[in-house]
Amino acid sequence: MDVSLHKENSLVRLFKWIYSGLDRTIFMGMKFTFPTRFVSPLGFLGMLTFILFIILGITGALLMLWYEPILDRAWDSVENINDTIPYGFHMRNIHYHASNAMVMMAILHMYYQYFSGRYKIRNEILWVTGILIGVLTILEAFTGYDIIFSERAELAISIAASLTNSIPIIGPDMRDAFFGAGFHDFILRFYAFHVFFLPIVLIGLMALHFPRFLVFDVPMVMAISGAVMITGGVFPVEMGLKFDPNVPPGITVPEWYLTGLYAFLRSAYDKFVTGVAWPGLFIFTLLIIPFIDRYKKFSWKDRPIITAIGITSIAQIIVTTYWGFYIDPDRTKSLLERLVIDPIFLYTVMIALVPLSFGFTYLMIKLAKNAEANAKKQPKKQVSSINLPQNWIYYVFIALIGFQIYLNIAAYYAILNGMKNISLFYIGIIMLVFAGMFHIYRHGRSVANNPPPPYIQTRAKLGMKQKAITDKTLSDSKELSSNNGNNVKSKGLLSKVFKVRKQNKNSFEKMWNKE
Amino acid sequence: MSEQPVSRGDDRISRRDFLKLLAAAGTVLTFTPFVDWGKFLPNPAGSTNEKSKVELPDGSQANVKTFKVNHAEAIIYPKSEDPALNEEAFRTWQFIRLPSELGGEKNDASAFRVYSMVCLHLWCLWKYWPGEGRKRGECPCHGSLYDPLTGLAFAGPASLQSPPSNVLPRLDLEVDKDGNVWILPPNWSVNGNGVVGYGRFIT
Repeated sequence: MDVSLHKENSLVRLFKWIYSGLDRTIFMGMKFTFPTRFVSPLGFLGMLTFILFIILGITGALLMLWYEPILDRAWDSVENINDTIPYGFHMRNIHYHASNAMVMMAILHMYYQYFSGRYKIRNEILWVTGILIGVLTILEAFTGYDIIFSERAELAISIAASLTNSIPIIGPDMRDAFFGAGFHDFILRFYAFHVFFLPIVLIGLMALHFPRFLVFDVPMVMAISGAVMITGGVFPVEMGLKFDPNVPPGITVPEWYLTGLYAFLRSAYDKFVTGVAWPGLFIFTLLIIPFIDRYKKFSWKDRPIITAIGITSIAQIIVTTYWGFYIDPDRTKSLLERLVIDPIFLYTVMIALVPLSFGFTYLMIKLAKNAEANAKKQPKKQVSSINLPQNWIYYVFIALIGFQIYLNIAAYYAILNGMKNISLFYIGIIMLVFAGMFHIYRHGRSVANNPPPPYIQTRAKLGMKQKAITDKTLSDSKELSSNNGNNVKSKGLLSKVFKVRKQNKNSFEKMWNKE
Repeated sequence: MSEQPVSRGDDRISRRDFLKLLAAAGTVLTFTPFVDWGKFLPNPAGSTNEKSKVELPDGSQANVKTFKVNHAEAIIYPKSEDPALNEEAFRTWQFIRLPSELGGEKNDASAFRVYSMVCLHLWCLWKYWPGEGRKRGECPCHGSLYDPLTGLAFAGPASLQSPPSNVLPRLDLEVDKDGNVWILPPNWSVNGNGVVGYGRFIT
């Protein structure tokens, strides 16, 4: 075989030249880590959020080729993308589900940093920029689903516009400045915000937000991308109904990251207080939390009040998010009655959640500390690990490649037969399989880098019978190689190639030593 | 093992090279499905495998029995549901019945021509002038003149452009037994029906 991956051809030299030239650019100031083994994704949730942002940027840019931000054409152009344009369905679904995933990842990232106390030790700037990025991410997602201009989008725009209007003194002017005069302006402006203003600010803040050490874990990145596609295949995003001002809209609820706010709005209390002041207070609290947190320690167990505040916020978010989705199914009642949430009930629950969460936190910390103390008493358990033998690395790898070939063909046939979401689902699995392959590749490389001692390796591979023979005839290279030849016969061709080669080498070395 | 020389001059590959090849194959296979996603970019509206009516501005289908000799109408192809797209220059075509000296009296497809109305020079819209002594396509902007028989620009700036940018794109026609005129599925290439605004090779 002529293939050699070790000889430097001119292409490799070109890449190396480019890489060395990058030394002078800003990118080399950031330290990228490519983990050589599996590490917990909790530590690099921010990177995963950024990857989703990149996916959104690419799919969004492509969707811009077909989307028309014009009052009477917006919904139709989205329908055209969804139904007519080849792979438009895929792009739209990836864009939609990646946006949800990005909001989710950003929230998880924030809470992980919160509970692990990472915003300390001069990371305050990272935290504050992170909160701002989070708010802008939600605004970005919000403007995105508004410009479809379905019934639900219209509801969201009307709420956003009236909330802006409700701000004292500057509200009406702000509304005129940001929203314009009517639906035509709303669509065009939300589009401009969605594709330019907000992303530009986001990118600027991200440049500030990047820590100096970045973890780029290929399997996790591919798994996230695959998960987004699979979700798109299984739960394709609906078009909704085109907004028509002459038709009464059905009951719609906003996206899940806004239903929490929606629950407050449905209490029909003052718009400014429910829709602007409460979320504003929430964001403000998050912004100043690193300056309030005076604990000297990092772990959540050692910062009870801060942890309790975090748990309270999670409890309130979960309860209000669910409440925002819940609409009384009793159709005999009037629509207003079904929608409006009793403010006294809502606020009582919100207040009741505070002592409950504090109690829960106290309990959790007690339990965790007990468990910690118990764990210290007991002898340390050995960390279990999966040790895939080297031959099996190849078998699994080839099986995965075979599976990928099958999936590729299946995805292509699905597209030919018009089964768009099945094709998207298959491609999602392809990405997940690639994540698995990369993980195995990484494992294989580490096995190759740290091989067990050759004698033990030989013994382990031969059966017990052969072991005796091997020990007896260790000096006899001829017999050894023939034994191994028999042994590998039952195994695959590939392992044979490698084993025979290895054996030849061993025999060669032994002969050499003899002489 | 990491210091172990890999190439020994024999024809086998090392474990590590094999692993790398597998990884490379896996990467290639992973991104293969996305090659087909390139179809997202071109507009699929222009490509069809079905023949379509020659629809005159009054809404009727052109018919050899009723359409006058030495006469032209602007038609829209491909016709869209979207009125804004039907306005667009790249979808406007000149449907011409040739003058009698060029064979316009015949009752088959050879009596008709359909050319893109987009002038090959600077994309103004030319049209057919049936008057005596003219009987040609004329562009109002810079005076390019087109031969109705072939679509070749024989005078003006478009005629000075090198092939294929001196011949108008055309559509192929078919006449059914009732005399209705149909447009055959086009092949948008310079060697086929031509590229609108760019031209066509005369075959």
